[in-house]
Amino acid sequence: MKLTIEGVGKRYKGNFWGLREFSLEQGPGVLGLLGPNGAGKSTLMRILATITKPTEGRAFWNGTDIARSPNGLRSGLGYLPQDFGVYPNLNAVEFLEYMAAVKGLDTAAARQRIDSLLALVNLTEVRKRPLGGYSGGMKQRIGIAQALLNDPQLLIVDEPTVGLDPEERVRFRNLLSDLGGERIVILSTHIVSDVEATATGIALIDQGRLLAYAAPEELLRRVEGKVWEWVIPSAELPAAREKWKISNAIRRADGVHARVVSERPPVADAKSVPPSLEDAYLAVLEGSRGSRLGMAA
Amino acid sequence: MSQARALYHLMRADFLERVRRYSFLITLGLAVWLGWAVSTGKLKLWISDSRGIYNSAWVGLLMAMVVNAFVSLAGFYVVKNTLERDRRTGVGQILATTPMSKTLYTLGKTLSNLAVLLAMVAVLAMMAVVAQWMAGEDTHIQLWPLLAPSLIFCVPAMALVAAFAVLFETIPFLKGGFGNVVWFFLFTASMPLGIKGTHDPIGLGLVRTQLKAAVQRAFGSATDGFVLGAIGNERQARTFRWEGMDWTREILLSRLTLLTIAFAITLLAALLFDRFDVSRSWGRRRSSSRDFVAASDRELVPARNGVVPEPVPVHLQPLPAESRRFRFFEMLHAELRLLLKGQRWWWYGIAAGLIVAGLLVPEEGRKIVLPLTWIWPVLLWSSLGTREARFATDGLVFSAAWPLRRQLPATWLAGFLLALVTGSGVGLRLAFTGDWPAAGAWLIGALFIPTFALALGVWSGSSKLFEVVYLFLWYIGPLNQTRPLDFMGAVPAAVQAGIPLVWLAATVALGITGVAGRWRQLAGR
Repeated sequence: MKLTIEGVGKRYKGNFWGLREFSLEQGPGVLGLLGPNGAGKSTLMRILATITKPTEGRAFWNGTDIARSPNGLRSGLGYLPQDFGVYPNLNAVEFLEYMAAVKGLDTAAARQRIDSLLALVNLTEVRKRPLGGYSGGMKQRIGIAQALLNDPQLLIVDEPTVGLDPEERVRFRNLLSDLGGERIVILSTHIVSDVEATATGIALIDQGRLLAYAAPEELLRRVEGKVWEWVIPSAELPAAREKWKISNAIRRADGVHARVVSERPPVADAKSVPPSLEDAYLAVLEGSRGSRLGMAA
Repeated sequence: MSQARALYHLMRADFLERVRRYSFLITLGLAVWLGWAVSTGKLKLWISDSRGIYNSAWVGLLMAMVVNAFVSLAGFYVVKNTLERDRRTGVGQILATTPMSKTLYTLGKTLSNLAVLLAMVAVLAMMAVVAQWMAGEDTHIQLWPLLAPSLIFCVPAMALVAAFAVLFETIPFLKGGFGNVVWFFLFTASMPLGIKGTHDPIGLGLVRTQLKAAVQRAFGSATDGFVLGAIGNERQARTFRWEGMDWTREILLSRLTLLTIAFAITLLAALLFDRFDVSRSWGRRRSSSRDFVAASDRELVPARNGVVPEPVPVHLQPLPAESRRFRFFEMLHAELRLLLKGQRWWWYGIAAGLIVAGLLVPEEGRKIVLPLTWIWPVLLWSSLGTREARFATDGLVFSAAWPLRRQLPATWLAGFLLALVTGSGVGLRLAFTGDWPAAGAWLIGALFIPTFALALGVWSGSSKLFEVVYLFLWYIGPLNQTRPLDFMGAVPAAVQAGIPLVWLAATVALGITGVAGRWRQLAGR
């Protein structure tokens, strides 16, 4: 089971490139796509889900070009788009039965699967209620259920935890980790903690380009010894923000605990602290933008 | 002052959002086509077998009447989507939280609708110049006689259409396809009444009186004959010189009254407008508020004491490989359920009544029963090919395997079965009586309708185009017994003339068009 992306790019109207020269190779596991809004994550996911064709480059699923022969991939694909709708007159069971028919699943197997999926996403009690009356979070859970209907080999989920309450979010993260053992899961989000909890590999994207593709441990190693924390009085925080790029500031009884990623300690009493994935993410992003600015200057 | 500013920006933003869409270019294109039809003499205005020579006054009047007769009907469908867009994009939710009043909102939307309709009027007014030059009977352009009819007749009529479009969008049962059908019948039913009166929105009654007097002056006598539309070139009209309308106080007052009525309709729309409160529209009718609150409560489970709960082991059993077997019947069953879900008992009751009527009525009755049978499910057919775009399920459905080979045929077949079942009364009667040519025409009708719906739905992404075009076709063809447009075999003379074969060819062409449209949706993005 292998997904290979070779120099994929997507150009939109007005000669705007949403994605450019994107390459990576992924085997079973959870790949977390991290990047700011508009980085190109959704474009990449739509290409991989065969909804959009790339302008340049190619993507292969087990050696088959997905733009030329999309149905091989589609048979084993589960896709949860960022924005999707449901048919408001159908209830949860009817909607999932419809999606099961579209995905080519046997009725008896689909019914069993739907029961277990509805239990999994905690919608069993409201299974007979029309979807038009569902809240945003409940619709999101229906979206998750339909993505898992056909027991996909490739599961692509775009901002899946949006609208979920904390309990459901943790539950879904665990499900992704569980699924990632024997299939490829691609998870796009800008919530670093979601990726931190589940991903076995991380791709950092900004302005349509792949900045880094590595295991979380590798990304953390890159900023090892470069994350500093020190305490400053509340009143001095605005001045400190002017001077340093503070990645996090937590108010405690003894003052504000400010955190920066830097080669050298920002102040003499700053302590080196273990890096988080958020530190690594910000460092890569800053490094990339800094080098681009440097090149432009 | 700030209210006026808010109103201006509300109207401006809405107008700009519309004119920057490709659909607006298509709308203007249609206006140009209508103007061209006048310029080339395909659309004419005759009174008592006479017409005016094509000077500025006559062309201006002709164009104004064309605008009011055709744009009033079609323009309604062009503009009846402004509240829906705010609802769909979520902008409405934001606007609802501002201090803006409901009256200001509906007024802004009416003015934006009016601006779009007046853009079409402006295009047609410019085309009037082209029409006058092309006719070459009097090429001297006089601005006031040319433009006054558009200004005095069209602006109030368009204001009325703009206000009605907003009103329909504020009434839950009129904001969808049913409202589109209602407007069609309201308009077509009111037109003959308008010609006889003086307060008709189109102005035909007012024009008719003065034109008849002019014909009487020119030829000594005049009949009541009055035609606005397509007249064959084989017929020749007497010509007279029309110097323009006498803009009497009565005319100006009646047009001002229409503007006042449009304003009153806008105020009524403000009263009915739900201010994007979901519980006042969807929730109240379709599900109980208790259910909705209960569902929402489940969503609001807080992190206990600010701590995210401990992870719970979650596992999903693998799906057996043999369960991955596509069965077309299951897909068809799912599509049929999607098509019919949400229909009330009385819908089925009326459909059943029409089936029985089709079985029992004699030959003559078929002319009425068959068209009625196949207008009843129009709102179901109009969903074919559009549901994926309308409900944003395209990402889910189109990422499944072979959507063109599996899902699209099932969608079409569901529509075809609906046509067969709803029209079964007439179909069975034709078979019992052995009228095979008519039965064949009936079958072609059943094939044509879902194919037509699917093709228009796939290409437009909206159910509105089919609803409107099908209504026109159904009204002019089968219902008014226009032979070439009888696509269902309701007119015996059309069946004898072999017209159904033309519709069979059209069905095949539309089928290819529909498949090409879906292929484009799947591959061309």
